[in-house]
Amino acid sequence: MTGPVLRAGAWPAVAGVTGVAVVVGGCAAAFPAAATMLFPVCFALLAAAAAFTLDEPASLVVDVTPTGPARRTGIRAVALLAPLAAGALVMLAAAIRGLALPWAAAGLALAGNVLLGFAAACVARTRTGEPGAVAGTAVVLVLMAPSLVPQVARWVRTFPAPGAGGPSSDTVWWIVLAVCAAAIAIPVSGRGLPRWMSRIP
Amino acid sequence: MTATLAPARPAAAAGRARFAALAAREMRRFVLNPVFLAAAGLAAYELWSGQRGTVTEIDGPNTVAAVCFGGFGMLAAFWLTRSMRASEPVVGVTPTTLPVRTAALCAVAIVPFGCGCLALLAFLHSHPVGDPVYGAFSPPARIAVLVGQIVVPSLGGPLLGVALGRSVRFPGAPFVLFLLLSGWMILVTALTQARPDSAPVAVLRLFAPFALFTLHSDAGVTAWRGSPWFFLGWQLALCAIAVLVALLRGAEGPVRARIIRALGIAGAAAVIMLMLAGTGGFTHAVTT
Repeated sequence: MTGPVLRAGAWPAVAGVTGVAVVVGGCAAAFPAAATMLFPVCFALLAAAAAFTLDEPASLVVDVTPTGPARRTGIRAVALLAPLAAGALVMLAAAIRGLALPWAAAGLALAGNVLLGFAAACVARTRTGEPGAVAGTAVVLVLMAPSLVPQVARWVRTFPAPGAGGPSSDTVWWIVLAVCAAAIAIPVSGRGLPRWMSRIP
Repeated sequence: MTATLAPARPAAAAGRARFAALAAREMRRFVLNPVFLAAAGLAAYELWSGQRGTVTEIDGPNTVAAVCFGGFGMLAAFWLTRSMRASEPVVGVTPTTLPVRTAALCAVAIVPFGCGCLALLAFLHSHPVGDPVYGAFSPPARIAVLVGQIVVPSLGGPLLGVALGRSVRFPGAPFVLFLLLSGWMILVTALTQARPDSAPVAVLRLFAPFALFTLHSDAGVTAWRGSPWFFLGWQLALCAIAVLVALLRGAEGPVRARIIRALGIAGAAAVIMLMLAGTGGFTHAVTT
């Protein structure tokens, strides 16, 4: 069962977006002056790649098979290893080049980004067979908000840049991880979503 | 002669009316798109909040319109274009050809372009052209910088979205491109800070649909190399390329040949404008 479910995944999308993220992360490692701004872009791309892991073009058929959503989601979660490994590789490359970043906090940010993309896809998957594009766009806009909107950056930091003021990104990511765990558990367990979330555009 | 031309005129008029109706419908769909509405609200809030504080620099407020109307407009235009893909077997048999429908979609860009013009006026209200925050540029060049940073990206973003929607099947293409362009601009800005006087670095910095021309630091305002006027030409050439690439899909016969020829001309113009933009203007960074 694991093999066919994994094989049917949107691997070109996951691998393609992860590849683009690796290129951006590679530039961050190569140009330390731009690293603290390029790493959030790289992580946002990895989150978008994670959002494509649940895409199922044959959802009309697959959703009525005896394999439940929990098992299917669990198998597809294996695909998250691709963006996680790519992110870890990029951070390793940056560390080898001598970039001074709080790596534990950066690792937490990476995990939080990827899980946020996956959680958004889990929620959207209850309404559509291919949630990647919608979930990916939403996640990218949310993650890039601190970079795009100066007012948001004053309150929320999504990447642990050394010397930056404001609240720690660790707090944000621990909260996000907890919320994502709940957001993944509710749809996967087969329970309905709240009434206000009745439709994915 | 009159008898031959007479039937063609009503047909042309009907075609124009059909195009206008189609463009109006697409425009309505674009304006009601939640992403565009959110972008317009965000831009309005950012410009309003920018007027309340003391102006110390423009590298930040000047990116708002490009991000909101250009970046988010690209996302909205992409979805608008792709939304008809599923009904193509039905829509495809109507008398309106695909290039005409694409042209109607491109006409949608008038809305964000108008919003960009309004944003420019609002920006000039809070950051008058005479302010020292613009650095060593002359007043007309300052206007060119702002038009290139606020108005033209608002026009080009949605056009790029239509071109992407017509030519790329991957549904995540617009946000990947949005992030790639953001990453590229961050990278070339960092490169420019390291080598402000280098001509190749100036060309790299301007090899994007949006570019910064000034840097604010404790030493003052540094105006970077590059001609804002030729950069405007480069941006407009990119807009033309986006429209032509979008129209190419579904075009047949002599129309296709004409579009390909126009693409060649627009491409050559874009290369020339980019070179002139990179080598024109100040020959080195000027700090005031």
